[in-house]
Amino acid sequence: MNGAPYGRWLPWNASEHGGQIDSLIDVIHWFMLILFVGWGIFFVYCLVRFRQKPGRNAAYELPKGAASKYAEVGVAIFEGFLLFGLSVPLWSRYKTAPPPPEKRMDVTAIGEQFAWNFHYPGKDGKYGRLDPTLISSSNLLGLDKDGDPAAEDDIVSPELHVPLNQDVYVRIRSKDVIHSFAIPAMRVKQDAVPGMEVPVWFKPTRSSDEFREAMAREYSLDQPTPLFNKKKAGLILMEDYPASGEPVAHKGDALVNATVEKLLAAGIKTVRAAPRATMEVVCAQLCGMNHYSMKAPLFVDTPEQFEAWKTAQSAEIEIDLE
Amino acid sequence: MSASIEIPCDITPHPVTGMYNGKFGVWLFLASEVMLFGALFSSYILLRVGAPEAGPLAWPDYRTNHLNVPLATVNTMVLILSSVTVVFAWYYLQLHKFAAARACLLATIGLALVFMVIKYFEYSHKFHDGLYPSTHNFYAVYFTLTGLHGLHVLGGIIVFAYLVGPGAAMWKYNPAKFTNRIECAGLYWHFVDLVWIFLFPSIYLL
Amino acid sequence: MSTHAAAQAHAGHDQHGSGHDHHAHSSWWRTYVFSTDHKTIGIQYTITALCFLAFGFGLMLIMRWQLAYPSDPIPLIGGLLGKSLVESGVLTGQGYNALGAMHGTIMVFMAIVPLAVGGFGNYVVPLMVGAQDMAFPRLNMASYWVFLPGGLIMLASFFMPGGPAASGWTSYPPLSNIATMGQTAWLIGMIFLITSSLLGSVNFIVTIVQLRAPGLSMFRLPFFVWAQFVTAFLLLLAFPPLEAAGVLQLMDRVAGTSFFMPQGLVVSQKLHEAVGGGSPLLWQHLFWFLAHPEVYVLILPALGIVSEVIAANTRKPLWGYKSLVYAALFLGFMSFIVWAHHMFMTGMGTTLSTFFQITTMIISIPSVIVLTALIISYHGASIRYSVPMLFATAFLPMFAIGGLTGLPLGLTASDIHLHDTYYVIGHFHYVVAPGTIFAMFAGIYHWFPKVTGRMMNRTLGLIHFWFSFIFINGVFMPMFFMGMAGALRRQYDPEAQLHAETVQGLSRMVSYSAWCLAAVQIPFVINFFRSIWSGQPASQNPWQATTLEWAAPSPPPHGNFAQVPTVHCGPYEYSVPGERRDFCPQFEAREA
Ligand code: HEM
Ligand SMILES: [Cu+2]
Ligand SMILES: [Cu+2]
Repeated sequence: MNGAPYGRWLPWNASEHGGQIDSLIDVIHWFMLILFVGWGIFFVYCLVRFRQKPGRNAAYELPKGAASKYAEVGVAIFEGFLLFGLSVPLWSRYKTAPPPPEKRMDVTAIGEQFAWNFHYPGKDGKYGRLDPTLISSSNLLGLDKDGDPAAEDDIVSPELHVPLNQDVYVRIRSKDVIHSFAIPAMRVKQDAVPGMEVPVWFKPTRSSDEFREAMAREYSLDQPTPLFNKKKAGLILMEDYPASGEPVAHKGDALVNATVEKLLAAGIKTVRAAPRATMEVVCAQLCGMNHYSMKAPLFVDTPEQFEAWKTAQSAEIEIDLE
Repeated sequence: MSASIEIPCDITPHPVTGMYNGKFGVWLFLASEVMLFGALFSSYILLRVGAPEAGPLAWPDYRTNHLNVPLATVNTMVLILSSVTVVFAWYYLQLHKFAAARACLLATIGLALVFMVIKYFEYSHKFHDGLYPSTHNFYAVYFTLTGLHGLHVLGGIIVFAYLVGPGAAMWKYNPAKFTNRIECAGLYWHFVDLVWIFLFPSIYLL
Repeated sequence: MSTHAAAQAHAGHDQHGSGHDHHAHSSWWRTYVFSTDHKTIGIQYTITALCFLAFGFGLMLIMRWQLAYPSDPIPLIGGLLGKSLVESGVLTGQGYNALGAMHGTIMVFMAIVPLAVGGFGNYVVPLMVGAQDMAFPRLNMASYWVFLPGGLIMLASFFMPGGPAASGWTSYPPLSNIATMGQTAWLIGMIFLITSSLLGSVNFIVTIVQLRAPGLSMFRLPFFVWAQFVTAFLLLLAFPPLEAAGVLQLMDRVAGTSFFMPQGLVVSQKLHEAVGGGSPLLWQHLFWFLAHPEVYVLILPALGIVSEVIAANTRKPLWGYKSLVYAALFLGFMSFIVWAHHMFMTGMGTTLSTFFQITTMIISIPSVIVLTALIISYHGASIRYSVPMLFATAFLPMFAIGGLTGLPLGLTASDIHLHDTYYVIGHFHYVVAPGTIFAMFAGIYHWFPKVTGRMMNRTLGLIHFWFSFIFINGVFMPMFFMGMAGALRRQYDPEAQLHAETVQGLSRMVSYSAWCLAAVQIPFVINFFRSIWSGQPASQNPWQATTLEWAAPSPPPHGNFAQVPTVHCGPYEYSVPGERRDFCPQFEAREA
């Protein structure tokens, strides 16, 4: 696949099961197109051929119904095929066989107005207890750090990090109203209904790096250009600058004003940059006035990146505990 | 409405359906009422079945629900009796005994008022005991369903009051239509009765 | 104001009618305001619904500004809107949600249903069955006078603290439970609107079953009447569960019950006081139990109108009249068991989702039958491209697009990606806007001469049609591509999400088209009012059509027919071989 990950048709698919969803969508749309064009040709023919003309009367006799019978039966059969041949098997394969616990990465996604928070069980693999009465602005999930030893190493993060090519098992919950956990690039969507916990799972097959590479653009720094996603996701550099010699800015540095000044000082006018977060967990269910802003960055990390991120998070927890 | 308009089957039954318009209309209205109470009963069942077995959210049963079964039993009797009096009213009208019919209708209204008074005592007793709709979903269901039923009783009282009061004038110039009206009001009233007969065991006795 | 005008025009012609002197006796109030005449009530419904339609459309035009130019102040009217909607001229997130929710509610419950059923149904059904009025004229009046306050309560909610309801037209709790006061107004307004529909539907069914003219058997009824008949049953049986749900939500909001509130909700980091034990999904079940049949309420009368217009203008019998009737009945029945296809993403198991996928696929078959039958009706025709015919003709392919795009949404696997995206908005708008609204226009142009005794202007009609046709597709076609790309519905900031940025250009195009669409309604408005007063006078049967409404004078007097007609044949006897003219009205006997 080439081109940009996001365009005017399906976005890149980054999950194992997503390809099948995409081909189902494709098949349906071809079917729709054929049916529509078939109908359309007949219809336009009639509209032109049978327009009112002096001296010609309409036929009282009705055309024989065979063609329409074939069309209707054909449609029914094809819908049956879509249903029992594609959709139902796909859905049941995808929804009824969760990956076994030892092979998957576990995380809980908890929605609230207007953010997602992700709760990782930590090294012990056990989720700590969540107690709604402990919730405060510094303990968003009400994690019982004092009462439950399993909670000590738990990671709570506003970013979702998942390892590439490993099954991810997400329990979806909500603290307040109904949200919907949606990742367009993964073809994942599941409502977060308060009082319920529903799991979804997927296996990321494309990394954030791959997306970023495809989304990277040249940006000129000395004139105000519409920076891709300038407002929201923030850009990061795709290379060290300058390419030779001592870099003033490194690959991965955020393209903030300070960096831009340093680069301009070093005589660099254009850079290649891309959004830091290339995929997003969004909320697909109206959840209040800032519903639109309810999203979290999703990073599909290589195993090394993922370990590094977890270590960094644990380090933060250590600091917190002291 | 002007006299120039003639609506077929206004009084006489339609040859195919066997009903005059009003009766047909009431049956349709009752069908929609069945859907209304059906939806409420389904919600009740769903909430009750989905509730936990123990803890503060567990549902009370007939031993622990603080509902007054004797009073409700009396109310059941009262409503059934009032359905009977409506039937008699219709019966007397067909015999052209207006005074007797009128007495029966007044009895119906009286019984319906008794029902409402008893309900009032039930409700105020609950409030006195600190049991509100917000206390627990059981009481939410109890108040909502019996309250809505109570509104239907109130509606019936208004209809009957109209029919023995200003509406009774019709008896003089169009007795057939007046009799039909009593029949229609009676159908509605039986339905209100029937709803209670479902409500009583399913809320008080389960 | 305009009700008055239309009614006056109506009365003005009455005087030429067959001398109904009771008009002089009954007061102005009883004739024009609290009238029991189905035609006056139909006109009242039509005018009111058209005003709401314009209002609902206006709300969308404001929203489209935000979607084209996020966070720019709204030109012209930005300063006039209240603080609950805008801040220093810019629409707020809350304001956007409020307008969106009210757009949906107004369009569905206060514009299309009252127009299609209250307006067209009321005016045309008694005429088509050869009755002098509805079975219960006073009930009919009551239904309008319950509808109007319902609508006014909805409008009043714009002036409440916190603004109107903002939880979508679906009002999902717990969001709606914790919303501002406007939501309470929404619920009360809905209870009024529902009650009005219930009263109306009882009336329609009884009228159609009991009041048919002699000789008019059920299978001689025009398809429009059948469509209204099925619609009335849907309203009768599907609305009460929503009424129940509305009562429960009202209790949750006002009496503090927990029907839809689970335990332990934490709103803005504070524990909510509701005791809990309720189920948010219960609301969705009750709501969609209504709201799926509701979509057929929105489309069936439209199909009915289109069928009438097509039959009259193809000058030949509708193809497969009986299969149309059976399809409509089957649609009505099936529509009660598909509702949960709106809830595939709530965490449904395979069994349940398979059931609802199957019913959804099954219900698409009768729709295909209807569409196919209507299209085949053009074969061998002698098509007269009148303005109503153009609208009816354009309806068919656009309705087809709406129907077809329902397929990927009805299959769970593809729905995963498309659910709650602009694809859904495109899908159902193709059914209700280019679909139903075009049918409504067809109906207005078609029956205008009957109602006013005057024709609408053709040139203005053509301008209205062609530009509307272009722009309405400009509004809704791009939405499929936006949805495919993943752009979600109900988004205040169209660029907030990565995948939606690439379709912002399309979104802007939608906005331009919507504004142009609004502009090209001006010829229609001019045409409408000008024709009431100075249109070309119309004869009793200007389209040379066959159904009974054309047996009455234009406009029909109180009581409709000088003499109740007797029906001699089926509804669509056009171009019968050997006949003098190319149409044989139901109300005229033919020599053997
Ligand atoms: C032709 C003019 C119309 C335009 C331009 C229009 C446009 C739109 C747009 C863009 C949305 C999506 C808003 C969002 O997701 O933020 C929307 C939502 C909606 N529209 Fe329309 N629409 C039109 C007519 C109608 C009609 C005739 C109906 C009636 C049945 C209707 C019913 C709805 C409903 C129910 C929603 C969903 C509201 C919600 O999210 O709660 N619209 N419309
Ligand atoms: Cu959300
Ligand atoms: Cu549906």
